[in-house]
Amino acid sequence: MHIDLKKEIKESNPGQIGVAILVLMIVLAMLAPVLGRYDPLQQSTTTLLSPSRGHWLGTNHVGQDIWSQLLYGARTSLAVGFSVGVLGLLLSILFGVSTALIGGVYDRVVMRIVDAFIIIPMVIVVILVAAYIKPSLLLLIILLSVLSWPSGARAIRAQTLSLKQSGHISASRAFGAGELYIAWRHILPDLVPILLVEFIYGVRRAVFMEAGLAFLGIGDPMVVSWGTMMHDALRFSYLDVWRWWLVPPGVALSLTIIGLTFISHAAEAVVDPRLRDEAVA
Amino acid sequence: MKAIKNNLVTYGIAFLLILALNFILPRMMPGNPLTAIYGGEAMIAMTPELKAHLIERFALDKPLWEQFGAYFLALLRGDLGFSYYYNAPALKVILGHLPWTLLLVGSSLVLSTVLGIVLGIESGWRRGTKTDRTMLAGLMSLNGFPDFFLGMVLVLIFGVMLRVFPLAGALTPYSGLSGLPLVLDVLKHMVLPVMALTLAHLAGGYLLTRNTMITVLKAPFMLTAKAKGLSEKVLKYRHAGRNSMLPVITMTGIWLGRVVTGALFVELVFAYPGVGQLTYQALLSRDYPVIQGIFLMVAISVLIANFLVDLLYPKIDPRVSHAH
Repeated sequence: MHIDLKKEIKESNPGQIGVAILVLMIVLAMLAPVLGRYDPLQQSTTTLLSPSRGHWLGTNHVGQDIWSQLLYGARTSLAVGFSVGVLGLLLSILFGVSTALIGGVYDRVVMRIVDAFIIIPMVIVVILVAAYIKPSLLLLIILLSVLSWPSGARAIRAQTLSLKQSGHISASRAFGAGELYIAWRHILPDLVPILLVEFIYGVRRAVFMEAGLAFLGIGDPMVVSWGTMMHDALRFSYLDVWRWWLVPPGVALSLTIIGLTFISHAAEAVVDPRLRDEAVA
Repeated sequence: MKAIKNNLVTYGIAFLLILALNFILPRMMPGNPLTAIYGGEAMIAMTPELKAHLIERFALDKPLWEQFGAYFLALLRGDLGFSYYYNAPALKVILGHLPWTLLLVGSSLVLSTVLGIVLGIESGWRRGTKTDRTMLAGLMSLNGFPDFFLGMVLVLIFGVMLRVFPLAGALTPYSGLSGLPLVLDVLKHMVLPVMALTLAHLAGGYLLTRNTMITVLKAPFMLTAKAKGLSEKVLKYRHAGRNSMLPVITMTGIWLGRVVTGALFVELVFAYPGVGQLTYQALLSRDYPVIQGIFLMVAISVLIANFLVDLLYPKIDPRVSHAH
């Protein structure tokens, strides 16, 4: 299981493209206050302007600068994506590793719940909850994290179970190492590749869900989001404004998800060497 | 058989989780639980008699576990509650929208599965070549486009710019069409949404088939088959292809379960009158009985689809039934 993760991703073409796209998005998101000259939520009387020197992508129906919204939208998207990715992954590790190490009734009960969670579609649960509680960004992050950990937990559990059988762990145990020590010192480091894959999956799912829910109009109106932009722009699609209002957030969102897909494809090959292209005769 | 029995327990747990969520959410809300169960619309039309009747029906003056019992019994009778927004039973409202969604999702599911498998087999067979790499990059990129954005792009190209297909709806309103022209009209309205859904889901089946194909091609039985001098077509489709289809069947089963919400976003883009559009409307108007009903329908179809896959799988892959 000792594989050089960085090397694998560097050597894969899609992996490189994916990392490049993601880095670009992160830079745009970080530089949003510098690159966008307007407050993305600042409304004005100059509505539905065409692109000009002052407003690169024009203005929307309440006079907000679309270019600034696009940049701040990247912040929301990435912030939700990475937060859910991290939180979901922590839950996956907690349950995946503990079920594999403890086993018995605990393992069976948790895995049953995991299976049940996996088959319930996430979208509809979030919609149901959102129908009662108007979710803030924080609540959305928590909700998505709670709903997205089970598939990762299952993969991590399987990997831990196979690691548990390996020689160096038996050796460590024979030398008197405790379970927690083994988990921290020997199992977690070897789980890194699969953790990366699950993390990217989680981020991708969350970016998609955040945009989709905002597109439905669920979400905090005080938060700029690509989904909200598309939701608003769609109502004005009979005008020509879609060219600079609807298409840019759509392309930005798709690019982000494509970048994440490329990275996860490269990372999958790390976890499952059978998929490596060069290994094919 | 033991696997199926185990899975049944899982489905039971999933179903109970869903029921519990459906039951607890409205009752957790601050304020009058009747508003949370029926939505604001109902409270305007509420008379004292109706109110008393509803409180009794939901056992709202009783302890929680009795309320759950009343809720559960109503469900068993097929009573999902009454939508005051549509002035009709929630079940009837949902069933009225369901056929359109089934039409959209059903056709795109068949199209994307078949296309995905064929492309996956062809691509995996040529693994490592330029064709394979191009297809892989192309379809992975396609995978990144959310279905609603694909739908918008299609509307803009084929509806707004080229004016080949209608922009929205499931049929031309007040056209008075019947027979063949009606069928053609419906088909014409279906093209773009089905295309958006198919393109969005194509990559899933493709990637899965291609991955399995690459593993299967290295199996010893492939060498044997080649040594027997079988033609490329037989090798590719009957030997490697058939074995590479299995994970896709599982995936299609999962998708089949999501049939009710599968077109949620796309229906919104095309103003298609299916369950997705209904969900959106219900969300806007806080029509809780309808939202809860849809949630329950989703749950039931997910469970049925999973069960069907469990039953079907050993028939397609006999190794599964020997594994236990």
